[in-house]
Order: sequence, then structure tokens, then C-alpha cells
Amino acid sequence: MALSADHALLIARVALGDRTAFRQLYDATSPSLMGVALRIVRDRSRAEDVLQDAFVNIWHRAGSYRAEAGSPLTWLTAIVRNRALDALRSEARHPADSLTDDEDEMTDIQDDRPDPLGLLTQAADALAIRACLEAIDGSQRQCLALAYYHGLTHSEMAAHLGSPIGSVKVWLRRGLEKIRRCLERAK
Amino acid sequence: MNYDRPDLLERLAAEYVFGAMTGPVRRRFERLRLTLPAADAAAVAWEARSGPLARSVPAAAPSPQVWSEIDRRTGGTGEATAQARARAGAGWWRWLAPVAGLAFGVVATLGVVRLAPDAIVPIEAIVQERGTLPQSYVGLLTDTTGAATILASSTRHGRTMSIKVLRPIEVPAGGVLQLWALPRDGEPFPLGVVPREGKGSFEMSDTSEKLLSNVPRLAVSIEERPASTGAPPSGFILTGHCVKLW
Repeated sequence: MALSADHALLIARVALGDRTAFRQLYDATSPSLMGVALRIVRDRSRAEDVLQDAFVNIWHRAGSYRAEAGSPLTWLTAIVRNRALDALRSEARHPADSLTDDEDEMTDIQDDRPDPLGLLTQAADALAIRACLEAIDGSQRQCLALAYYHGLTHSEMAAHLGSPIGSVKVWLRRGLEKIRRCLERAK
Repeated sequence: MNYDRPDLLERLAAEYVFGAMTGPVRRRFERLRLTLPAADAAAVAWEARSGPLARSVPAAAPSPQVWSEIDRRTGGTGEATAQARARAGAGWWRWLAPVAGLAFGVVATLGVVRLAPDAIVPIEAIVQERGTLPQSYVGLLTDTTGAATILASSTRHGRTMSIKVLRPIEVPAGGVLQLWALPRDGEPFPLGVVPREGKGSFEMSDTSEKLLSNVPRLAVSIEERPASTGAPPSGFILTGHCVKLW
């Protein structure tokens, strides 16, 4: 697709230290990448910090982009997601807000972000793998969506779904095996 | 753990990429990626495989300070911004020139030359005073190289969006070009579908004034079908300013 080719060209120019290309790449991709970060860390200013760190990283690592990492946008998404997940985990280690008792944490988990399962279904539609996705057991699909879009750990998923952590681990593992086959079919 | 087992690496990589690992486990896997090429390859493969799932996430515009910080931290001087804008802006001014010419022509025939000869009258002011061009919202969308690609315009109180495609756009079979409004605050919303070449128009859900008064930018994405309200855009291939022509 023309878009991917354009992004790949920009990344190649960024690798050569072209600052104008860097800015163009930022303009072209930062809204979708900001959306991805915001989804995981939930707070605008934290998401902006994630985006900032990710782009500093991209500036230094642009030369390492390879086609096997997927489309340019996929590669950029992986950088942003990893940074966002790191930020989310370090936040859990040093909670910024005093969410000390269990009740607060539960409220915190039941947030107002739109249904992650809906996002997974929309993505599957766009990739023409809806039928394949819907053949995956409902709890497994839930776990996939909660992990991918919200970055929930096994124990957070267990709390969110009110299910034992052992079941959640099995659901996610089986779900991953199945979605792998769906994604490999996606166009 | 025995990391020689490919099925174990595969499972760890999947859980790492999907975001289910706790902090310490993530860090352990990251160290493994650095030392064991098979672990890194499994993670890269999962990143490539799962990346398209992120496209259903609604876009959100970062604040301008984010770029300033990135620029500063990577040793920039603010110049890239100016150059990128100049590049994007070149198309804009190429387009404005004939409009300015037209405005001058019209006002000249209307006898505005009677204005004090030493007065330097801004074109905008003349256009507004004389109403030679109707009050409109105008967007000029450029591609990632800054080339002007789509001109979108609609009169202030009208509902029809007119589109002129300045350079034909490549669209994969079965795809449509979706025009989006990017409000100052809030999520992008779909305006309508634009042609891949030539001219076209579509009816919007409300008047331009209602829909666009708080929309500084427009964008175009390729979608499988026309987007419905609330649906998130996939990546934008064209973006541009949306301005009030009055």
C-alpha cells in the first residue's frame, strides 16, 4: 500500500538523520500511536510521555527497521506499546495515586474505556478474520482483548472477570494459540 | 526454565507482546530477547502478527509540546518543524495564489481601487468586505511528502462538501477514501467518502458551521467501507488544515 511505502521511506530517511522526515513521520503517525498509548496508560499526560520516549527511541533505532517486523506502522506500534506497558508496570510498582485498599483498585480496573472486546471485533472485521475470531471461546477472547488493549496482567484479568487466575492463564494461552492462526490468515 | 523449548519461547513471546506479563517477568523476557536470538525472533514475529489489531484503537492528537520535547531530546533546533511545515505549506500557497489572484481581479472590477492608494489592504479583508468569495470552510490535504492532494470546501451554512482531487490517489481494491474531521478536542469523526480522482461532492450530516467550527484539521484514511459515526479511523494517508475563509 502506498501509505506503508511512504512510511518506510520516511523511516529510511530518519535513519540517515533527516530531521524533516522525522517530523513528517511524527505528523503522519503520532495520532494513531497516541491513541494506542492512551488506551494502555489511560492518562493523557502519561500517554504523551510514552509517545515522547518512543519517538526519541525511534530516532535512534530507525536504522534497525526490517521488513520482518511487519509494516512500518506495526513496527512503530510495537515500540509505543512496549514503552506504554513498561510505564503501566512501573506505575503499578510506584502508584502515583494512593490506591491502597482493594476496593479502590477494583473501581480503578472497572474503568470507562469502551469495551476492549469491541475493539478486537472491529480489528478482526478490518482484517477479514471475524469468523475465525468468533470461533474462539468467549472467555479466551475476553482475555485476549483485555491483555492487548488494556495491558492487564493475569491477576488483573482474574479480578476483572471474577475468575480464578488459573483459569485466566489457560484461557489466555489457548486464546493466543487460536488467534495466532487467525492472524496468519489475515490480509 | 528450559528456553530451548520452542513452544515455551513462543508462549512467552505471545504473552509478552500481548501485554499480560507483570513488570518483573517482562524485564526477564526483555533480557532474554537480548541474549537469545530465538526469543527475539519469536517476539518480533508476534509484534508483526498482532500489530494490525491496534488499528481499531481511536486516534488521539498529542499536544504540540510533545514534539518540542522530542525535538529537543534528539538534538533538534526546531528547524525540522519549520521545514516540514514549509514543505506542507508549499502546496497551500500554490493553491492560494490563484484565489488571491481571483480576489484581486474581482475587487479591482468592483472599483475597490478607489480606496486610498497608499493603503495596503489585506486580501482577506477585501474578500470579507466585498463578499466576493462566499464564507466557506476550506481544507487542503497533503500527502506525507507534502504534495497537495485534495481540496475540500463547503459554504459556511451549507451541507454539501465539494471535493477536488488534485492528484489521483491509489486505493487498494475494495477500499474507500474516508474524509475525517479532527476536532480540537475529541475524537475524529467521519464526514463522507471522497473520490480517488476528479471532482465530487457529498451531503454532510449537518451544516459546515455546526460540524467544522471547532475542527482545525481534516484527514483521509483508506477504509473497507464508509465509516459510521463512532468508528475509529485506520491510519491517515492525507492530512491538512481546515480553515475558515472569512
